[in-house]
Parts: sequence; structure tokens; C-alpha cells
Amino acid sequence: MAESRQQQVELASMAGIIERLAGELGLGEEPACFIAALESEEDAPRDE
Amino acid sequence: MSEESLAGLAAGIRARRISPVEAVERCLARIRRSDSRLRAFIRLDEEGALGTARALEADAAAGRWRGPLHGVPLGFKDLCHLPGLPTSCGTRSHEYFVSAQECSAARRLLDAGAISLGKLNMTELAMGAFGDNAHHGDVVNPWVAGHAAGGSSSGSAAGVAAGFFAGALGSDTGGSIRLPAGCCGVVGLKPTYGRVSRAGAMVLSWSMDHLGPLAWTARDAALMLKVMAGRDPADATASRRAVPDYAAGIESGVAGVRIGLPENYFFEGVDEEMAAAVRQAARQLEDLGARVSEIRVPDPSAMTDVAMLITRAEASTVHARVLREGPQDLQPMVRARLETGFGIPAYDYLQALRLRAKLTRAFVREVFAEVDVLLTPVIPEPAPALAPLKAAAVDEFNARAGRFSRLTRPFNGLGLPALSVPCGFGAAGLPLGFQVVGRPFDEAILLRLGHTYQEAAGWHRRRPPLD
Repeated sequence: MAESRQQQVELASMAGIIERLAGELGLGEEPACFIAALESEEDAPRDE
Repeated sequence: MSEESLAGLAAGIRARRISPVEAVERCLARIRRSDSRLRAFIRLDEEGALGTARALEADAAAGRWRGPLHGVPLGFKDLCHLPGLPTSCGTRSHEYFVSAQECSAARRLLDAGAISLGKLNMTELAMGAFGDNAHHGDVVNPWVAGHAAGGSSSGSAAGVAAGFFAGALGSDTGGSIRLPAGCCGVVGLKPTYGRVSRAGAMVLSWSMDHLGPLAWTARDAALMLKVMAGRDPADATASRRAVPDYAAGIESGVAGVRIGLPENYFFEGVDEEMAAAVRQAARQLEDLGARVSEIRVPDPSAMTDVAMLITRAEASTVHARVLREGPQDLQPMVRARLETGFGIPAYDYLQALRLRAKLTRAFVREVFAEVDVLLTPVIPEPAPALAPLKAAAVDEFNARAGRFSRLTRPFNGLGLPALSVPCGFGAAGLPLGFQVVGRPFDEAILLRLGHTYQEAAGWHRRRPPLD
């Protein structure tokens, strides 16, 4: 699917953002760490 | 409590001051009078609603109460699969989304005694901040004709504001509950990621999608959330945390609550009238005992960009079929956004998911060490006029939508709970609003703060002039 000029600009911008930010990521960082960040309160009661 | 509110109506039905059939008929009368103009519904299920109301009336007469929402009429955004009704997702096809899985959140509300009035209008595929829809008609702002209702849960917000139903279910991927709530002057809650199951609802972006309630008051939203929330084997992301009784502590005030007003990002470029109203709301909360301070937050623009990239990539993946087989059926602005997602490399998408985790940890650690909640504007300006928006070129329209959701989208990326609360009206008569954002799974403090503010400020006692 051909990309418009505007879409190309947007894609380049997104790639640039990732390039700028991802350099600081540690090797242990993975997507599931997001859920862990939300669920990390140790004393939260579970509904089990 | 007024019987116009969900809580008041539920109490009135329980006390037999009003019957479920009367409640439904009252809503239907308003819908008949005004929905040809507002266009909140895609499919009104009059017969189904009255049939359910009669059954609930018989149950009540026999002393059988289904739950806390017994006899309360609700509306459902037309991306929730409910057996017996087609699900358009705002597209041209009335049966765009077919699922074997019923929408868990909607089912829980119905099992608690709620009555479905039908399926609600929305922007196509839940992609859009203003509530326009070329297939089902633009949802119109109930306060000022010709202005946007906000999107994508446009019918949910406009219908609540118009009194078509006592509450509604919406979805929020970049602000789609909070933006229309802000535009239409009602309360909208995006819960924590994982608090409410998304099973049986159309996926736009599985990493960013949230389901939540829209209602007149924070108390009403608390009642709905208590019913909707909780673990669900059909949605692996639904949290196993216990669900608190959000309404139980809602009267306990805001004394000592630490409120942070962000110094950076959230007031930049915001309409003066809107910013002033939000700061005035903070002062009112301070007068009620809260401790308000300015705070510098980790740059939300990074999370805004990351969330946008993830959403684009996932949305294009989920909706690739319609884009390939029927692109002419999609509105140009929706098609353009989906097309962009095909160009995102796997490397960028996966790095964005890794970045999301890191940015979330840092934000939660830094912000909530200093304050209990953040308070920000929810929309950068009062609901804009629709006609000039729609006259814009596709790229300009999408850029404007991106700016309109820049205050809400960071919290989809961060997964934090955020409540939109009306805080007055601008000179043109359009609603103004703030959002209050809390720690993960601390919806209770947001609802308590929203309730305390509403009781003191009283904006929710105004209704739009529909007749």
C-alpha cells in the first residue's frame, strides 16, 4: 500500500522518537514489565 | 438524590416510587423527542427494553431483586457484542463485529438488573476525537447545537447528558471516554488497565483499550464500576485484584488529599477559559481540605508518542481486512490512520512496548511519591464546532484530533485510572472539565474526589436545554 507524503513524515517521526528513547532501555526491559508496574503493590488483596 | 441520577433512580425503583417500566418509558419519551437531532443511538431496542422492564417489574413485585441496578436503563457503545443485536463499531456494515464472546462488562451490568436500551453511536472503529460519523450521522453536542460531542464514545456521553439513559458503557484507547464526557458535561471514567475486562468488545489496540462507565455523577460511575470490574477468565489482562465498594467511602471528603497541578505539558496551549476553570476547581478542592501543589511530571510527550505508535500498529493489524477488502467503505481520516500503521516496523513497535514499561515505572514512582492525584484539563478547549472541522483536509483533521487527545492519551499509555469531571461552562455555553488521575487501581480516590467536588460545585444539577 503506497504511503502518502504525510504518512511518510509521520512514520519517520515515530521512528526518530523510538531511536531517541530506546537507547536507554536496559536488557531486562520487556513488555510484561508494564503489567508488573501496575500490579506491584505488595499488599493489594486478590480476588481468588 | 434526584431520580435523574443512576443512584437516585436505582433507589427509587427499590423503594417502589418508580417502576422499571416507568423508568424505561421516561427515557424513551426523551429519546423520541430529541434523538433525531442528537443521534446518540445506532440501534434503539425499544421492544427489548420494555420486555426486560416488564420482567424486572414482575420480579420486583415478587420481591426478587436482580442486583444494585435493578430496572436501571443503560446504553452500550456499539462495539460491545450483545447477543441478538448487531455490532457496527461505527462502520457502514451493521454487522462489522461478530463474536462468540458476549461483552463481559455489559453482561455484568445486565446481570445486576440493568436494562439495555440499545447500541450507541460512536466514531468509526473508535478512531476519532470529535464524534463525527459519516455512516450513522454525527453525534451533536446536547449543550450547543453544531458543536462536537467528542469521541469516540460520542453517543454514550451525549445520551447520558440528554437523559436518554442513566449511564452508559464506553471504551477509551486514547481518551474516548473522557473526551466526550468533557465535551458533553458528564462524568467519564477510564479505569486502570486490567480493572475491567475487555472481553467481547471490539479491539482497537489491545495494549491501550479500556472499558468504563459514563454517567451524570461520580457516585453513579462508582456504582457501575463496582459491577463491571474484576477478574474474567475470558480476558487474560483482567486483574485478579479484589474489587472495592467504590460508593462506600465516597462521602468521606478530600481532607489531606495531596493534589498535584502539573507545571509542564498539561496546561500548555490550553484555552484560557478552560485552564482558569480547572485552576478554580483546584482552589475549591483546597477549600474542602485538599492540599494542592504544583508538580513537575516526567515528560508526558514521550508516552503520548509511544502510545500513538503502539495504537497505530495494533489497530492496523486488527482491522487489516477491512482496509484491504473494503477501503472505500471507510471514512478517509480512518483509512489514513490505519494505512500509517502498516508502515511501522516490528522493531519500533516492540521497542515502544518496552519503553512503555520503563516510562510507567518512572512516572508512578516519581509522581505518586509527591502527590496522591494529578489534576489537569481533560480537553484543551471547549467542544469545537463540527462544520469547520469536517471541512479540513484529512491530514489537518487528524492532526487536530491528535492535539485534542494530547491530555488524555498519556494515561492510556501509563494505564493509570483517570476520571473526567465537569467544572463549569464557558462563555459560549459549552462544558468545561478536568481529569483527575491516580495510582494504579486507586479508582476509589478519584471517585471520592469527583463526588466531593460535584456536591460542592453543583454543576451536575444543570441539564442541557433540549426542548
